[in-house]
Amino acid sequence: MQREEKQLDAALEALLQRINDLKTSIRTLLFRLENEYASLSWPSFLDSYAVISGQMNTLLKVMKNDKTPLLRNLIVLPLVLSPDPDEELKQATEGRVVAFSHDITPDMLRTKPDPDVEQRQNQFEQRASQVPPETAQKQINALNKVVNHVLEQITHSREDWENEATVRAAAAQTCVTADTHTLIAAVGLGKNLKTLPIAAPAQPGPGRAQAGPAPGKTTSTIKTTIKAASQVHPYNR
Amino acid sequence: MASNQNPISAIDMLTSALRSNIIPNQEYLLQGSVIDSSAEVLHNRLRGLCDAAETGPETFHDHEMCFSLKASSPGGTPQQQQSFLLRVRRALDHPEYPWQLRYLGQPELGEKNQPTVLRSCIDIACTPNVVEFLSELGCRIEFEYVLKGYLFRKGRMKVTMSKIFRMGQAKSPDSLEAMTGSYLVELSLLAPSGQDAVADEIKVFAEQLRPLVHLEKIDYRRLQSYS
Repeated sequence: MQREEKQLDAALEALLQRINDLKTSIRTLLFRLENEYASLSWPSFLDSYAVISGQMNTLLKVMKNDKTPLLRNLIVLPLVLSPDPDEELKQATEGRVVAFSHDITPDMLRTKPDPDVEQRQNQFEQRASQVPPETAQKQINALNKVVNHVLEQITHSREDWENEATVRAAAAQTCVTADTHTLIAAVGLGKNLKTLPIAAPAQPGPGRAQAGPAPGKTTSTIKTTIKAASQVHPYNR
Repeated sequence: MASNQNPISAIDMLTSALRSNIIPNQEYLLQGSVIDSSAEVLHNRLRGLCDAAETGPETFHDHEMCFSLKASSPGGTPQQQQSFLLRVRRALDHPEYPWQLRYLGQPELGEKNQPTVLRSCIDIACTPNVVEFLSELGCRIEFEYVLKGYLFRKGRMKVTMSKIFRMGQAKSPDSLEAMTGSYLVELSLLAPSGQDAVADEIKVFAEQLRPLVHLEKIDYRRLQSYS
């Protein structure tokens, strides 16, 4: 019994928190609507709606939570109704409810929807029950088809747009990093640039040839040193 | 591309210049490359951004040779010999221009907030017999290549778009093969040491060339270790 009470308390706390958050965001939205209606743009309005929808989601999740006792099985019963102002109640509700009296109780504790909402709902239910089941099924199928079609269209367009973005990025590639490295290594270190045969044959061959910048060239330098010995200075100046 | 140093009033001017730290002997550098198909676009963009848009950019067709000189330390084993590179550059399209002898020090990349590569650089104009002179000194030619491209200037900055060609087998200027399908783009500025504010100038300019070409600090000594 105690455990259930504790669970109930915890659940009520969580619900209260969520509802307060929801209340704040609705309030900010209304404020923005009233004061900033000139500068408000549809996307930012939609963002506020998204916030509210998110909060409603979390609220429902809390209610569906396993730890929450079945609220359906519990009822709120007013024990004492008095028309006198109640200070604690005033503080708890931020001044909105002054007294727990007979006229506000039906509004506060109601479980049925508003009368006009209730009427509209009854109308819909009547219309729905009048439709024979086969036509109802056909209508459901048609609706499903249309919605799937629209969904397909949207996914195709999204894929096209994404492809376009990637193609444009790929086509716009104007530099190749490998080339950059090759060029800079060539200019800086002489990588892959063939060395000419050594001009002065008097220099010791193999020892100096080791100091060539790229290891790939050492073999060719060693071979060409032998040839170079008989050659004149390569630059005919 | 030769620097305009007057060789006649050498010693006194040199000494005073060295003392007052006005010799531009530091090069602030950023490098990148652009593929041939987009080179035209980059060329136009540089024409728009740089000075002298009406006369058009200068083209150059140079032949660069790199000589290495081994400085042997007395009493040291042959492995301890340090070598440094000297570059000789001549303009193939203007044979009457002086040749350029250039020393480039080791590039320093610095930390992340240093926007450019910094290396010491000394440029000297010389006559064509510099090759003979260097060989007599004991320099050995390491490698050579031909560059063909465009030179743009903006203030003190120099941007070059060059295509690097390997010297062909026949050693004649006609037998050239391009090394890659890209142009090497270099953005450099020569300044006396200590003027690091120019590096920010370079960085700002480099930003304007994106996304066509990404000019960045590339350590070519590390490139040597790859393959």
